[in-house]
Amino acid sequence: MKKVKSAKAKIEHENGHALPFKFAKLLDPDASWDKDQLGDVLHWIRQVVGLVCGLICGAIPLVGAIWILVFLVLSSGIIYGYYANILKIDEEEFGGHGTLLQEGLFASFSLFLLAWILVYSLAHF
Amino acid sequence: MAAMASVLSAFRYSDSLVVVGISICTAFLCEGISWLLIYRTSTYKSLRSSIDRASKKLESMKSPSSSTDGASASLSAAGRRSSSRVKKMDRVETSLKESTRDLSLSKFKSGFVVAVVLFVIFGLLNSMFEGRAVAKLPFSPISFVLKMSHRGIRGNDPTDCSMAFLYFLCSISIRTNLQKFLGFAPPRGAAGAGLFPMPDPKTS
Repeated sequence: MKKVKSAKAKIEHENGHALPFKFAKLLDPDASWDKDQLGDVLHWIRQVVGLVCGLICGAIPLVGAIWILVFLVLSSGIIYGYYANILKIDEEEFGGHGTLLQEGLFASFSLFLLAWILVYSLAHF
Repeated sequence: MAAMASVLSAFRYSDSLVVVGISICTAFLCEGISWLLIYRTSTYKSLRSSIDRASKKLESMKSPSSSTDGASASLSAAGRRSSSRVKKMDRVETSLKESTRDLSLSKFKSGFVVAVVLFVIFGLLNSMFEGRAVAKLPFSPISFVLKMSHRGIRGNDPTDCSMAFLYFLCSISIRTNLQKFLGFAPPRGAAGAGLFPMPDPKTS
């Protein structure tokens, strides 16, 4: 299944057809992915997770550096679960787990800290 | 304006909103300058497309499906094909590295203007918020982060957050995502993307 998907992507590229992006593709395990497209999707998912987690942590509020570790594990778990279980892609085709998991990691971590600090400072003081 | 000022004054740490607001405006300003001086030039566009082409070509050459089927060929013929494939890959890699280097150089000259703008903005923020905590950290940072997060603040409370740290977080998160959103992020195929891709340093 994974070899068929990657061969299909290759044929489409060789024919010069750009893969149009549709949101239905985000939940389609049979969709074929371009490396750049997949990287961008994972990046933006990470940013949304970072922002939402930061807002929630700041609102409750959750205090302590342990929540930074919790966020990193949770965020990476969500990304891994998404590409491995929902998209069912072969990570070797896209550079391995490391490449996929680090997409947007630093920016999302910064966004999480920023949202957490801002909401905590404004809502609780 | 008066309404905004009264809303801001209701918050003890309203300075943090000012810092974030200025960071957002700075990010747009820097990307606007970069677009004017770098991104709209034909040199940048052609270098970027050559990097994209070369990296995609390299990927397809490295993938197992593109390797020669040696089972049906003689050993010497397979060896010759493998050797020529390696040489071709080396040529493409060299071309990719040269294009990446040329791209960096083209950004470097124009990045100086952006660096001056950022220096001025940082100086302005520093003069506005020196010695004051603009936010409260919900955690106690480790020592080397504390040097930045507690920079210039009176007192010993490690959870007091300085303008410098908040501005740093804003720069990383807002500018990286803005570059990504506008399509100005460095191409993935460019050498040295790294584990922690920062906002493009030549334009920041």
